[in-house]
Amino acid sequence: MWDWQNASPLTGLNFVAMVVGAVVVLAIGLGVVTYTIYAERKVIGWMQGRIGPNRVGPFGLLQSIADIVKLLIKEDVVPERADRVLFLLAPVIAFIPSFMVLAVIPFSARHPFTANLAVGALYYIALSAITIHGVMLGGWASNNKYALIGGMRSAAQMLSYEVPLGLSLVGVILMAGSLNLNDIVEAQARSGWWYIVPQFLGFCVFLVAATAELNRTPFDLPEAESELVAGYHVEYTGFRFAFFMLTEYLYLFAMGGLMATLFLGGWTGPWLPGWLWFAIKVFAFIFFQFWLRATMPRIRVDQLMSFSWKVLLPLALLNLVVTAVLKAFLS
Amino acid sequence: MLGLAWTPPMIAFLVISLLILVCAIMAISFRKVIYMALAIGGVFLGCAAVYILLGAEFVGAAQILIYAGAITILIMFAIMLTNHEAEEPPAAWSVRNIAAAVGCVLLGVTLYAVIRSQSWPHGAAGADVNQGQSNPVAVGLALFQHYTVPFELVSLLLIVALVGAVILAQERKEDE
Repeated sequence: MWDWQNASPLTGLNFVAMVVGAVVVLAIGLGVVTYTIYAERKVIGWMQGRIGPNRVGPFGLLQSIADIVKLLIKEDVVPERADRVLFLLAPVIAFIPSFMVLAVIPFSARHPFTANLAVGALYYIALSAITIHGVMLGGWASNNKYALIGGMRSAAQMLSYEVPLGLSLVGVILMAGSLNLNDIVEAQARSGWWYIVPQFLGFCVFLVAATAELNRTPFDLPEAESELVAGYHVEYTGFRFAFFMLTEYLYLFAMGGLMATLFLGGWTGPWLPGWLWFAIKVFAFIFFQFWLRATMPRIRVDQLMSFSWKVLLPLALLNLVVTAVLKAFLS
Repeated sequence: MLGLAWTPPMIAFLVISLLILVCAIMAISFRKVIYMALAIGGVFLGCAAVYILLGAEFVGAAQILIYAGAITILIMFAIMLTNHEAEEPPAAWSVRNIAAAVGCVLLGVTLYAVIRSQSWPHGAAGADVNQGQSNPVAVGLALFQHYTVPFELVSLLLIVALVGAVILAQERKEDE
């Protein structure tokens, strides 16, 4: 029943197992998001010499839960001049892919809830492009100039940074000889080193492109509150706003998982159990993003696009060519 | 029933094709251009689901990446950068529309006749299209062993199209 990755997932109990797996992954994702938000506020608070949330529950541990409850029971306001159908649909379109990409992330060595998909890395890249529709439609349907500018900026930024992001993965895929994320982890375990060492250039490109793809500082132009009020979600309230935030933080988790899988050896590591290694690596990525947010100012909008196309893309291509040549001559 | 084997993949196929048809009909019956773009995105996603159901995972993922992702976004960009309230005028029976409708019906009848007159190969239901390899490996071997020359020619065509697009866009800018 729990072997649905290798048998057909559409038959009998395999289907039930697949649905149970999806629910469990959703629960894990929601838990991670809740405490990512708490950790972000706490860590940035410490970095800025503040205390951070400490009122709700011990050490403020229930703060995010209180915030979520507040967002869920808030009034759901739809602006009068907005395009009602698209306005209601946009957060759903944005959220669904962010949850679906978690399906291919191998959380641990024995992975009952990870799809053994032969095109895993491509699947991640392909689905994360769908979220752009939600962001863009949300900005457009709000019928608000700041939302529209934020939506357009976001779409342009996410689309252009997806190209170097995808190309930076190709070096790893060449070395592992597979698009399947499970195989990539095992190939790293066999080769004896994590791909961050031979693929350091690819890793740097990936890290920058991932930060931009996640709309986080210093690439948080789509949500520049000081120039755009807030960006594409300025008209959203209540649980629809919560859905956009949930999308963003789920992607933070998923991108951390992707980075850990591709460059840091996934669940492999000495002594500790696999899932704990995976959690440590993902949290290192998430902490790095907090750290960046507390440190960096926002990049200028006219530098943003040229940086992606003129710096990151050539670097990613160079990395790809070097990897291919080395692989051809060394093997 | 209906001479079909009611296996789970067949049910999934029927559900997916129903969704594709609904999206396609919505795409042509909506009056607002942005809704049409979204419905076309639904059609692309449905086609990707059919590919994945047939075991062509790589084509399915590429379909989502390029069609549902990039092309639909490009259509939306074009809509947003032009007219905010772009709407089609309501349909009217002009000579041109009637001619187009007759042409469509004829095309449909021809296609149906041609498809029905073919004798399609009957593979076993469990046949492995990937011949024991994972799907991307099978696609890669086919591309680089059997179809190397066509593949390289297609890439040449793409480069020509890319350079052509750049040159066209540049000329437009100089005119202004």
